[in-house]
Amino acid sequence: MAVIRWGDVRRHLGDPGVVFAFAGAGVLLGLFVLYPTYRVLVYPSLADYLAIPASPRWTRAAMHSLVMMVISTLTATLAGLIFAFAVTRRDIPGRGFFRAIAMLPLFAPPFMVAFAYILMFGRQGLITKTLFGLDANIFGWHGLWLVQTVAFFPLAMLIIVGVLEAINPSLEHAARNLGADEWTVARTITFALARPGVAGAALVVAISVLADFGNAVVIAGNYPLLATEAWYLMEGMGDLKGAALVVAMLIVPTTILFFLERYWVSRRVYTTVTGRGSRIEHPPTHPVLKWGTVAFCAAMSVMVAAVYFGVIAGAITTVWGRDWTPTLNHIGLAADRLETLWASVRISALAGAITGVVSVLVAFLTSRTLPGRQALDFLAVLPGALPGVFVGVGFVLAFNRPPLELVGTVWVIALALAFWHLPMGYQAAVATLKQIERSIEEAATNLGASGLRVLWDIYLPLLQRAFVSAFTVSFIRAVTNVSIVVFLVTPGNVVATFAILNMINNGIWGAAAALTTMLLMLTLVAVGLAQAAAGRALRPMRMG
Amino acid sequence: MTAHVRLRDVTKRLGTHLAVDHVSLDVAEGEFTTLLGPSGCGKTTTLRMIAGFYHPDAGDIFVRDMRVTDVPPHRRNTAMVFQEYALFPHMTVAENIGYGLRMRGVDAAEARRRVAAVAEMVGLAGQEAKFPNQLSGGQQQRVAVARALVVEPEVLLLDEPLSNLDAKLRVRVRTELRALQQRLNKTTIYVTHDQEEALSISDRIAVMNQGRIVQVGSPREIYYHPVDRFVADFVGLANFVPVQVTAPGRVRLAALEFAVEQATGVGPATLVVRPETVTLSETPPGDGQRVVLRGRVKASAFLGGIARYWVDALGMEWIVDQAAPGERMFAGDVSLMLAPERMHVLRGHDDRTEVAGPRTEGEGRS
Repeated sequence: MAVIRWGDVRRHLGDPGVVFAFAGAGVLLGLFVLYPTYRVLVYPSLADYLAIPASPRWTRAAMHSLVMMVISTLTATLAGLIFAFAVTRRDIPGRGFFRAIAMLPLFAPPFMVAFAYILMFGRQGLITKTLFGLDANIFGWHGLWLVQTVAFFPLAMLIIVGVLEAINPSLEHAARNLGADEWTVARTITFALARPGVAGAALVVAISVLADFGNAVVIAGNYPLLATEAWYLMEGMGDLKGAALVVAMLIVPTTILFFLERYWVSRRVYTTVTGRGSRIEHPPTHPVLKWGTVAFCAAMSVMVAAVYFGVIAGAITTVWGRDWTPTLNHIGLAADRLETLWASVRISALAGAITGVVSVLVAFLTSRTLPGRQALDFLAVLPGALPGVFVGVGFVLAFNRPPLELVGTVWVIALALAFWHLPMGYQAAVATLKQIERSIEEAATNLGASGLRVLWDIYLPLLQRAFVSAFTVSFIRAVTNVSIVVFLVTPGNVVATFAILNMINNGIWGAAAALTTMLLMLTLVAVGLAQAAAGRALRPMRMG
Repeated sequence: MTAHVRLRDVTKRLGTHLAVDHVSLDVAEGEFTTLLGPSGCGKTTTLRMIAGFYHPDAGDIFVRDMRVTDVPPHRRNTAMVFQEYALFPHMTVAENIGYGLRMRGVDAAEARRRVAAVAEMVGLAGQEAKFPNQLSGGQQQRVAVARALVVEPEVLLLDEPLSNLDAKLRVRVRTELRALQQRLNKTTIYVTHDQEEALSISDRIAVMNQGRIVQVGSPREIYYHPVDRFVADFVGLANFVPVQVTAPGRVRLAALEFAVEQATGVGPATLVVRPETVTLSETPPGDGQRVVLRGRVKASAFLGGIARYWVDALGMEWIVDQAAPGERMFAGDVSLMLAPERMHVLRGHDDRTEVAGPRTEGEGRS
């Protein structure tokens, strides 16, 4: 008969503090991730679901969403690939500039590209009407295609850059050494190795295109999509069941794409690429490839610059398309809505703080060997598969009645944004934790630190950087969010993006442009501050 | 004399792999014991069980006759130096070294004094305010050692602490480490796969293979009297020469018959002949030399301090090292002069040869 050892009992139960925190994190994720999802899915009846194929309204919106997904993903991924190639080659002139300009759309509110292109290429467009005298109609699928390509190629670029940078240039040298010319190297080595990364980027872009609400609501015109239908149904007709049905349809493809990316493609990326090798230079790029890339990137850069130029110019032009006299009137008008900007900051700071704390806590917990940690990990990444409109509808359905009647408060907006952005912060924290050698924790234990001391002395200081990055990403995306806030704002807590969207829809372009410009400046300041803060948190971690 | 650290039939399974298989070991007070073996032999797992990071599936661990098997790692006084140092990147050198004192509730002034003393001792004086990433690899290693020493542990554990240093530095640091250990008379258990390191630094070596301790002995015993072919092959280079033991103390190799003190048990046996115990000459030596083979140099390599030859003799390939080779290298036909007094006999001819003489464990320490 085995003797029961006290040590065995302790080892199996684990640290009581850790177990308690685990339970708390489980409750939070259950309440703010799982419950809203569940509410959306069960709100329509089975008969409602079965009636989908017979309803042209649903099938048409679904078709449109899928068409846009295919064409916008193709062009955005291709543009992202070319940009990524350009910025990872040292012999491509202007690579630093291309990288910087491609980052710009990432900090812009999601409707900004669409809005700017109406100003530049629309019926009153600076280029279309004023320069060329054309009567162009940008509203519709073609306008949305252009807009989504420009809006989402930076996302593809970032992912592909990561993959290209991880390819050891020695492989290209080896191929040259074995007799391949520049073209063959690019085809058989560089792009071949980047293929899983490109596939991953395409999946991420596809999810973003499907979920894109801001651009679609501004520029799609009479081209109904699933994401915009949800809002029209709810706001226009108060049809909660219809909205739930539409967003439930939307998460079928986004969930498939998400888990495909996470569990299939991302794994192949890591097994194909040899990790960060030596930083030797790539062999020279073929001149045709080199200058072709430069020409394409220059053209795309003009399109990105047009976004910022259009909005900023719009903010100081008397009547866009008719009277080009500079004016400060719009800025004055926008200043009247300054309180919406403050509401944005307050709510987003709250959301950022929640994302930061929950990210770090959950990442620490899932790094422990505790039963149920896979479930916790799943719930922490699940929001990445959910479009903003889904989360928006979900929080309305979950929290518009007792016992947790939160709709109407700033809390519901902050919580929805915080948990929607959780996967980004969580994954950053997990990556940071993975970089912390297990032996560092063991060294602390070896010198006499108990379980909670280890968390306090070792992990919390080392996770500062992860917290700052989680906070920042969540804050910036919250400040610029429209897809969730349109469902959750109430007259008492209007945020800037919501106000701007209304101005655009009502044709008050000047004030909309002015308020967008202010929002943009606010975002850039936040990015700068965060980088300074991260730099400080980082100081003792810096290598060498 | 009771052992300071005692392992009794310690067994540990990692997954399905039997990592440590009934290991028993006594480490005396002030002794420097090395666990030596190839990767995967269980040496690090054994060390981690002494530190308390792994719990043995069976068996017990004692420190000063107190059973510590179930004591959690943070309550054992077994400070460890990790292979990758595991310095806390967000703490200064002084904070790193002082961490264990803080955990032990040593008051701040006393802790400062002890940190300064240890830093001085390992040659880190003046570096206390720096962060680990501002130090060289050698300095980081010193911080790791200081951090473990400052808490005055019962036993100091070192897990391949030199493997991240370059070759020159490694030799210097291991000499310093040994001097420090002897000065403090600190019971030390050291893990390495580097046989030269083990030979140069240890009082005693425990050679491990496939989860078991194969032989325990002084560096000389391990080198000159390996218990089996594995030990002989792992520690240094060896020629394994099949022979017949004709009578106790007599060995026949082809047409030669000569005395080897250790040879017992008549029958097939294997001679372990270290490359540096063979002397080459171009002409057959005089009558004074009895054990002489004729051979032919197949290949040679100049290694600086020595020259290494691969010589065909008696139908097998011999590795022979000659010290201070100078300009001239042997080539073509040569004579090999063997030194029976420096040979060692293993029973049998195959890989599973066992020692013919008495087991060396427990023999007098050097």
